[in-house]
Amino acid sequence: MKALPRLLMATALAACPAVVPAAVGAADLVVGFTLDADTLDPANHRKRETETIIRNMYDGLLTRDANMLVVPEIAESMTQVSATEYDFKIRPGIKFHDGSDLTAEDVKFTLDRVVMDNGMGEGVTSPRQGLMGPVASVTVTAPDTVRITLKEPWPILPAMLPNQQIVSKAWVEKMGNEGVATAENGTGPFRLVEWRKGDAVIMERFDDYYGGAADIPPVGKACVDRVIFKIIPESASRVAALLAGEVHIINELPTFSIAQVEANEGTQVMTVNGTRSFFIAMNMEGEQFDDPKVRQAAAMAIDKDLIIDKILAGNAAPIDGILSPDAFGASELPKVGFDPEKAKQLLAEAGFPDGIDVTMDTEAAFKDTAEAIASMLTKAGIRTTVAVGEGAQLSDKWRTKGAPKTGDMYFTSWGNGSLDPFDIFTPTHRTNDRGNSAGYSNPKLDALLDAAAVELDVEKRRGMYRDAEMMINADQPYIYLWVPQDIYGVSKKVTGWKPSADSRINLHDACLN
Amino acid sequence: MSLGKLLERIIQLIPVLLGVSLIVFVMMALTPGDPVQIMVGEQSITPEQEAELRRNLGLDRPMVERFFIFLAHAVQFDFGNSFYHGRPVADVIAERLPATIELSLVALIVALATAIPLGVVAAIRKNSVLDRMATVGSLLGVSLPGFWFGILLIMLFAVHMQVLPVSGRIGYDNEVAAVTGFLLIDTLLAGDIGAFGDALRHLLLPAITLGLPMTAILMRVTRSSMLEVMRQDYVTFAEAKGLPRRRVLYRHALKNALIPTVSVAAIETGSLLGGNMIVETVFGWPGLGRLVVESIFLRNYPLIQAAVLLYAVTYVLLNFLADILYTVLNPRVKL
Repeated sequence: MKALPRLLMATALAACPAVVPAAVGAADLVVGFTLDADTLDPANHRKRETETIIRNMYDGLLTRDANMLVVPEIAESMTQVSATEYDFKIRPGIKFHDGSDLTAEDVKFTLDRVVMDNGMGEGVTSPRQGLMGPVASVTVTAPDTVRITLKEPWPILPAMLPNQQIVSKAWVEKMGNEGVATAENGTGPFRLVEWRKGDAVIMERFDDYYGGAADIPPVGKACVDRVIFKIIPESASRVAALLAGEVHIINELPTFSIAQVEANEGTQVMTVNGTRSFFIAMNMEGEQFDDPKVRQAAAMAIDKDLIIDKILAGNAAPIDGILSPDAFGASELPKVGFDPEKAKQLLAEAGFPDGIDVTMDTEAAFKDTAEAIASMLTKAGIRTTVAVGEGAQLSDKWRTKGAPKTGDMYFTSWGNGSLDPFDIFTPTHRTNDRGNSAGYSNPKLDALLDAAAVELDVEKRRGMYRDAEMMINADQPYIYLWVPQDIYGVSKKVTGWKPSADSRINLHDACLN
Repeated sequence: MSLGKLLERIIQLIPVLLGVSLIVFVMMALTPGDPVQIMVGEQSITPEQEAELRRNLGLDRPMVERFFIFLAHAVQFDFGNSFYHGRPVADVIAERLPATIELSLVALIVALATAIPLGVVAAIRKNSVLDRMATVGSLLGVSLPGFWFGILLIMLFAVHMQVLPVSGRIGYDNEVAAVTGFLLIDTLLAGDIGAFGDALRHLLLPAITLGLPMTAILMRVTRSSMLEVMRQDYVTFAEAKGLPRRRVLYRHALKNALIPTVSVAAIETGSLLGGNMIVETVFGWPGLGRLVVESIFLRNYPLIQAAVLLYAVTYVLLNFLADILYTVLNPRVKL
């Protein structure tokens, strides 16, 4: 841009009444974030993004550190009393933002509100009930102790508890569900100043904060004065806001913008291993993919490393089973290897010497990747057409829970926020389960998964999932692809923060230089 | 325009709204995708918990029954609770609506203020370089995708020149008491000129992006109708009388030439609502369009239903307004 027109333009704009530059206050940390919270009610939200925002104002009984280890937060300690009973000792001296003290009764009230039918009152059951598994009851056993009793052993209770945020009983009863949806009274490091719906969530430091999890230093008040989640849904605009210095952290940085953010002085790219496994379901009820040779041929036709390198810019870890390399029970598995000639040979052995014609369903966001895969499959004789559909429609078509399926292949993914195999392995591989889009059925595997879900001996359980991975690695109901990294654009002014594998953006320890 | 005509038009609205409600309801029911499954996503849930959730959302009843329940409530302006917000749909929409209206009106003003002078000049200097440039410009204006144009403006004015903000309605340091919900008005009511300027700066790029296709259309309408009027006998007569050209053009010709422009503008304003969905996403504008798109993906039935009804009412009213304007400007036409 020439200097003169630029000067003229700047002058013209400066002539607007009292231009207030979009300058960021010294200690205001701004996050350019994809989605606004739907509600601020910890018992009534359904989206990861909503939880990320809420989690800066509300603390949980337990939380996770940067390495995804579960550590106590509001709880001082957790003791497993029996296979179905867990005791939580509540830390003293914790205050809600309205100044009242947190008690064991508040913890019980919070969990009851999620777990019980009609737990939220007014005829409403929390949509987050399923996240608490087989919880039978929550009781206050001492003034500072809460006991959770399960209907059956459920080893992943501690892994699921960081998803629950503790509310004040008196406050919720006073506000009602509608009030709790738009206001806030947590025990977290920040308190709500203003929620400009669809635009920004503005929070300020809570000066009476108890300090947060003892195992995650530094313990104490938040570093920055204010935190603003600014909602910018379009990724190109989010990148622009980061480059313009309007925001300090952006989530979901597209791979094609990585170079731009790295080249820009003052910003950098940060990544963390994600928890979502990508794979291709092959309809085993169909007449082609019921043959293991055809499934093997498809797996061999795809050069995963090339796609990770070229399309995902290196930001993904290849997998040979369903589990992320960071998940509990993950281990080294036999690799299928890229071999299109062998794939053709296998197809011929399976009775398809002229190849096969198939369609691969996927969502618009993954069209590029799916098309690259389709061209590789086509070269090996599996002539693949990509059909783009909408998420809800494809889920109806493929996640049929045992009802007949139509379709050949489905490029899709499943999240594993807890990094425990229970909530990814079982739904995608157990006979007729919710996410079993391949229509895979292996009674031995079913029995193994059921046993592993309630096995309390950690090492034995790890071994069971290793065996399960070996079974599916041999059967290949899916082509296991990769676990992408979460990519963030971050201003170099930000210190004390790094991305976390559960996709939460906790800003308690973040500072600005 | 008599009161009777007005009443008649309002009564005509009723079958339109009924029809729209029914169509949206049936379309939603026929579209694959189960709101309960979408809500549950990947979380573990027992069949009992799923049934409970379905009952909570009122989706356990047959479709016909659901439609009549919806109608019975809708006539009392009760559109139910949003599946995702835990609050009445009417409240959620009301929070977002002023942003959308404000943006649309400013885009309309930008479009009129640019299109009319350009169209007139292009007509007066027909086949001149200016005319050619305006014609090519209007072709581009109609063809450029708003999405792309918006990003281009952001890169130029927000990233390179850093004179305008990327997104949002107003800086978060400005606190404005909501009176009308329109920030340009509320900031003035509060006497906060700084905040007014800030709101205006935030509005500029989205309004230009949203108004661009309309500017292009209105410019072409103005140009061609101006050309046509200038060929009329009364204009030739006025010139023959020796009236100054300026007076002939602006007093005699322009007044009549603007009739089609105004009525097209009124009708096209309805299309601004549609364009809003893209512009709101690009500029992080907290309006209704973005909310509706999100709701469609999530099959948030109550919100979609209420928003579509609102769009239908707006569209019908705008058409009505166009008719009235037409009769006012051109007394030969009667409603």
